[in-house]
Amino acid sequence: MPLGIAPLDRGHRALLKGFKNQHRSLVEYLQRYALRHLEKDLLARTYIAIDQPTGAQARIAGYFSLSTVSVERASVVALPALDRLPRFPIPGVLLARLAVDERVQGQGIGRYLFEEALGLTLGVARSGPLAFRLFVTDAIDVQAVSFYERFGLVRLGDEVPCRMVLDLQGLLGSST
Amino acid sequence: MSRFQAQTNAVLDDELEDLRTRLGLDPRQKADLLREVAAIAAWVVRQAKAGRTVEARRGDDVQLFAHPVIDRLRGKGDAVELPRLVLTDTEVGRLARLLGRRFEPTPALRAALQNLTSSKRRPPKVRWKKPAA
Repeated sequence: MPLGIAPLDRGHRALLKGFKNQHRSLVEYLQRYALRHLEKDLLARTYIAIDQPTGAQARIAGYFSLSTVSVERASVVALPALDRLPRFPIPGVLLARLAVDERVQGQGIGRYLFEEALGLTLGVARSGPLAFRLFVTDAIDVQAVSFYERFGLVRLGDEVPCRMVLDLQGLLGSST
Repeated sequence: MSRFQAQTNAVLDDELEDLRTRLGLDPRQKADLLREVAAIAAWVVRQAKAGRTVEARRGDDVQLFAHPVIDRLRGKGDAVELPRLVLTDTEVGRLARLLGRRFEPTPALRAALQNLTSSKRRPPKVRWKKPAA
């Protein structure tokens, strides 16, 4: 059975502890907070990529979490740039986390997960009950910055971890 | 209750006395000892509130700092972290440049959009690397 994407639920609890990643915070989020944020706090929804080869035990190859986000300003000082911006706060979807198990990295799973996250976001933006302008993420290291830059996300900060943004307006207007 | 408190105080006194000698302070420097201990504890709490893991390393030997209070702090940090992103003026400037420019998708983004609309889209085949011996 090929890799499949599924929304995380309690039935996946037994699979969580097998997930490995070089960033401890990404492992810890999946194992300790993802279900809580889904069921109790209602902060984020996590999707997992499950690999279940025939006759073998299922494993989580990667995951991503989506949440809504309100992009706001730290100061109220007038800026010339504000003329080109919609009024703050600007609503967006936050790709809160995206991680691939370290034993299956370099096989296109990150790209596949990113496409899934973007597809879900565009689906809601096009026909869901909400309007939002931005697709936002926090890149955890320089490799992640480079990965997201390939998809056109622009970094807002200079340091890493780094906040990155994609303007959805052009994507929603395009036919593809 | 008072007996429990007395025992607890004795244990605390022993620990503080041990710390005092390890930090090279003399018995009259109780305030300095408290200041040092508070500074160390405050640093640990700040790291935990920022969502960082606190650990001690010597070569491959790693000891994770674990404590119920730290878990509670980290839980609270996560609960308030997600819904708001507050931008500095520099970040606002960059966002304005992004939103003001013409839509020109990168090749990877164009490919991703095409993949999403393709009926032939398939997930990658996964090959699990064996753990190093």
